[in-house]
Amino acid sequence: MRYWVTVYRANLKIAIAQMLQYRFGILIWAVWGFVGPLISLAVWTSASVARGGGSIGAAGSGSYSRADFAAYFLTFMIVGHLTMSWDAFEFAFRVRDGNLSPKLLRPLHPIHSDVTFNIAFKLTTCVMILPAWVLLFVVLHPTPPHSLFSFLCGIPAVVMAGLIRYILQYSLAVIAFWTTRVEAINQLYFTLDAFLAGRIAPLSLLPGWMGLMAMYLPFRSMGAFPVELLLGRVPAEQILPGFIMQIAWLGAAVCVFRIMWRAGIKQYSAVGA
Amino acid sequence: MEPQILVENLRKVYRVHERESGAKASITSLFHRKYREVQAVESVSFNIEAGEVVGFLGPNGAGKTTSLKMLAGLLHPTAGVATVLGHTPWKRDPDFLRNISLVMGNRNQLMWDIPAMDSFEVNRAIYDIPEAQFRETLDELISLLELEPLLKKPVRGLSLGERMKCELAAALLHRPKVLFLDEPTLGVDVTMQGRIRHFVAEQNRRHGATVLLTSHYMADVTALCKRIIVIHHGKILYDGQLSSLSDRIAPYKSVMLDMETDEAAIQAEAYGEVIERKGAKITLRIKREKTSEVVARLLSDLPVQDMTVEDPPIEDVIEQVFQQAKEAT
Repeated sequence: MRYWVTVYRANLKIAIAQMLQYRFGILIWAVWGFVGPLISLAVWTSASVARGGGSIGAAGSGSYSRADFAAYFLTFMIVGHLTMSWDAFEFAFRVRDGNLSPKLLRPLHPIHSDVTFNIAFKLTTCVMILPAWVLLFVVLHPTPPHSLFSFLCGIPAVVMAGLIRYILQYSLAVIAFWTTRVEAINQLYFTLDAFLAGRIAPLSLLPGWMGLMAMYLPFRSMGAFPVELLLGRVPAEQILPGFIMQIAWLGAAVCVFRIMWRAGIKQYSAVGA
Repeated sequence: MEPQILVENLRKVYRVHERESGAKASITSLFHRKYREVQAVESVSFNIEAGEVVGFLGPNGAGKTTSLKMLAGLLHPTAGVATVLGHTPWKRDPDFLRNISLVMGNRNQLMWDIPAMDSFEVNRAIYDIPEAQFRETLDELISLLELEPLLKKPVRGLSLGERMKCELAAALLHRPKVLFLDEPTLGVDVTMQGRIRHFVAEQNRRHGATVLLTSHYMADVTALCKRIIVIHHGKILYDGQLSSLSDRIAPYKSVMLDMETDEAAIQAEAYGEVIERKGAKITLRIKREKTSEVVARLLSDLPVQDMTVEDPPIEDVIEQVFQQAKEAT
């Protein structure tokens, strides 16, 4: 345990130092993550206003008023930011130009230093985007969370969502050992994620077949579930199954990653390095 | 005692995608991809004992770096076995990785945007180096490599030679038992090359580190290695003492003569194979076993002002090894 604390602390220190070298660049990335939910919010707010401010969707926990949309997408901004992962791009680049080699020579799996960079990004950008978020919160008057219990349950759900997303993204990144180019696969993943994680619209507003897909794929566990849980929109009887689903997806992601890593590392040709 | 590095019939074949140039070939390759197998290392076997410094020589594409990468655990071989410090390298056991280092002249492990000292601190954590040992090793490295003024500058602001010194320090902070050096003096100036050589020799002397070194600079090899392994087209051509290479491959001596007259130099041409003649100066290649006899005759027959007898330069000997291999294939 002492070893891991020391390793993560040392890596985090230099990761933050590196992030601060490129303050402007990372701010743009953070804004990029912020803009998506903001556009969705604008679209759905217009739709709600067009209906005279009324709710959209089936009655009950599936319907959204203008304030509900504001709460949903503002929460998604934070959850999306906290669970953000972009490793496939970087990893493929490293495989392609051989920069993965120095990382493979260390007695520590490269995923650990990447995790610390991910955490460093979130810590440094939080300081930048939090004031903007507070401003939006004040202006938009979102519906507050319905239940404290549900909100508290939402916190571990966000952590789980971050873990599933990170490991799934890393598994996609590992495909670079075979193809060296993973951008297309990654783009497909992001497109599916936009719809099925609930970034474009709350899942209850999607067509039936899409909602069904979202239920049986990992995307809901990585987005809509923790967001709805924080807001108290998940019915009590669905909270436990939601967590079980998250645990199952995390287990599956870890297994897939381990199998792919073991097979992929044998393919690594350490080009140019 | 088992050798520290043991290699048996190590082989690496790369599968390379191939296509002709042009748009038509691009479209064809979408549907019908052609692959070619490239044999980087054909079948290599050798042992290295603890504390040896061995030069791994060969022309570009000979398979040196591929062999080194397999031994450092970066590449999985196509066939063969290898153990380094009792571990199979490509299983990448953390215990193995904690005790080796691979320094590549064209690749760096230091983080670009931050001072080298910060990267050293990360290595301390990753290799779990006790604080006291870390300070002691760092002080030693700072003094040997004259690192003090470089430690606080961002790595991107360092010159190539300065960066190489920091890379070496980063690779040695955990005191590896086995050190793989792939072109460690690549692109650095002569003074810096000398310092790096001195440093590697010191590491071997002080800590008994086993070193396997590849370099295109023969000066690196002659300064550091008693033993060399010559590899060409993925096969070992020579494995033995550097000093015996000349005897085996080039059993000649170079005799440099400074004659009193140009005519005398012309007459001297009859005593051996002429390598070069400029006026009254002539260099002859003479068979090793006949050297004393020919030299005695030269001194008695001709007006010799000055004479030097030397082994042929090692570069020429190595070149001859490759030439012989080329002719044999």
